[in-house]
Amino acid sequence: MDPKSNNLNDFLEESVLLDESQYQEGFKDGYKDGLVSGKEEGREVGLNAGFQVGEELGFYQGCVDVWNSAMQIDPDAFTSRVRKNIAQLKTLIDAFPLLEPENENVQEMMDSIRLKFRVVCANLRVRLEYEGQPNSLNKDSEDM
Amino acid sequence: MELLDSSVDLQEVQKLEGHADRVWGLAWNPAPHNCGGASAMLASCSGDKTLRIWQMGPTHHLDCSTILEDTHTRTVRSCAWSPCGKFLATASFDSTTAIWKYVGGDFECVATLEGHENEVKSVTWSSSGTFLATCSRDKTVWIWEVQPGDEYDCVAVLQGHSQDVKMVQWHPLVDVLVSVSYDNSIKVWAEDGDSDDWHCVQTLNEGSSGHTSTVWSVAFNSSGDRMVTSSDDLTLKIWDTSSAISQTDTEGFASWRHICTLSGYHGRTIFSAHWSSEGVIASGAGDDALCLFVEEKGNSVEEPSYRLLLKKEKAHDMDINSVRWNPKDQRILASASDDGTIKIWELREIS
Repeated sequence: MDPKSNNLNDFLEESVLLDESQYQEGFKDGYKDGLVSGKEEGREVGLNAGFQVGEELGFYQGCVDVWNSAMQIDPDAFTSRVRKNIAQLKTLIDAFPLLEPENENVQEMMDSIRLKFRVVCANLRVRLEYEGQPNSLNKDSEDM
Repeated sequence: MELLDSSVDLQEVQKLEGHADRVWGLAWNPAPHNCGGASAMLASCSGDKTLRIWQMGPTHHLDCSTILEDTHTRTVRSCAWSPCGKFLATASFDSTTAIWKYVGGDFECVATLEGHENEVKSVTWSSSGTFLATCSRDKTVWIWEVQPGDEYDCVAVLQGHSQDVKMVQWHPLVDVLVSVSYDNSIKVWAEDGDSDDWHCVQTLNEGSSGHTSTVWSVAFNSSGDRMVTSSDDLTLKIWDTSSAISQTDTEGFASWRHICTLSGYHGRTIFSAHWSSEGVIASGAGDDALCLFVEEKGNSVEEPSYRLLLKKEKAHDMDINSVRWNPKDQRILASASDDGTIKIWELREIS
């Protein structure tokens, strides 16, 4: 056994071990902080997304409520086709799983609601929108 | 009367000039006698935001009798006559569709259909006169029902295409709608019973021997048992649509199938195809050429096939956007081009 080489190895081993343990400590600290910060960010993103969905659905619900009130005052205010569409819209809104954001059908259900809303608006000859309303279209360039 | 390719020619009989921009669409009035008794009436729509109406006078030449302007604020992309010939629908890039009515020698805008989110690409009137359909770059197809008093009710907003919808066309005999799109597919839409419940009953895409690029146009033959589509993939495809007439339930429409593909005749996107009442298919493309095809009458046991009757190179100076046969005179064809002109052709047999 070479005492000199042993010393050399021990010397290096200490730095390597120190390096390792510092890394572990740093990682633990970073993970802890990241978890907290990630949760915060996640909560914020969730809040925004939830707000957007709630706002859009609330808008449609509000319109339906006004239309239903109008019909109570004057049952002949709208044609039977419009009445049927408003009723269908209400059913779709009621069926929307607000508390299940992970439900894989939510996009499809929202699309159906949006389409039904457009049919009602077209028949009432109105254009109803609110600021910040999500648009299903991209701003792509005009083609022929 | 059989048309043999060695004995026919397509002769240019008139060139209609006047539009200040490319001419996008054409439509022959199916009942011109209801509009002041003209023997022929052709509507043309353009990038110059106007619609022009050309009428055949005693000289057998078409003259521009009306210019419908100051209504659409952008390109008028498509026009279609109602079956009675008294109404004309115009679809525009300004996202609206205007309905014009023939009233005492003039055309009045009696309704504006709004709802599409952006450019409307096509409008079509059902042969029953009950429905109108429009389609747009917003990927939706809208179905409208004609009500008394020039009112139009939106019956359905159909989603299904994943891209810009280029054209919609009603079946000539039954209320079944076909749409074609930038998403390379052809969709067939029908109503379930009488409940405003329209849905897609069939999609013809690459897997069904369909097109491999944007489908630009669709047209039926007069008996409604065949349909032709044209595409950016440089082919025309013929489809068997006979089940639309033989079956009354929506299941019948799920069995439309590919019969024949015509390729190698155009070197650029084929923008338009139309079927004459005599069974001649005309096509117009970005290669500035017009082609005519007829069915090969041969072995009835095999799948029907179609052959080129003639090709007119340099029919126009630029892209041909629309070709339309005159429903009242089956040998007269109109073509519209990016060059701003409309040409009237006569299919003649050379002795």
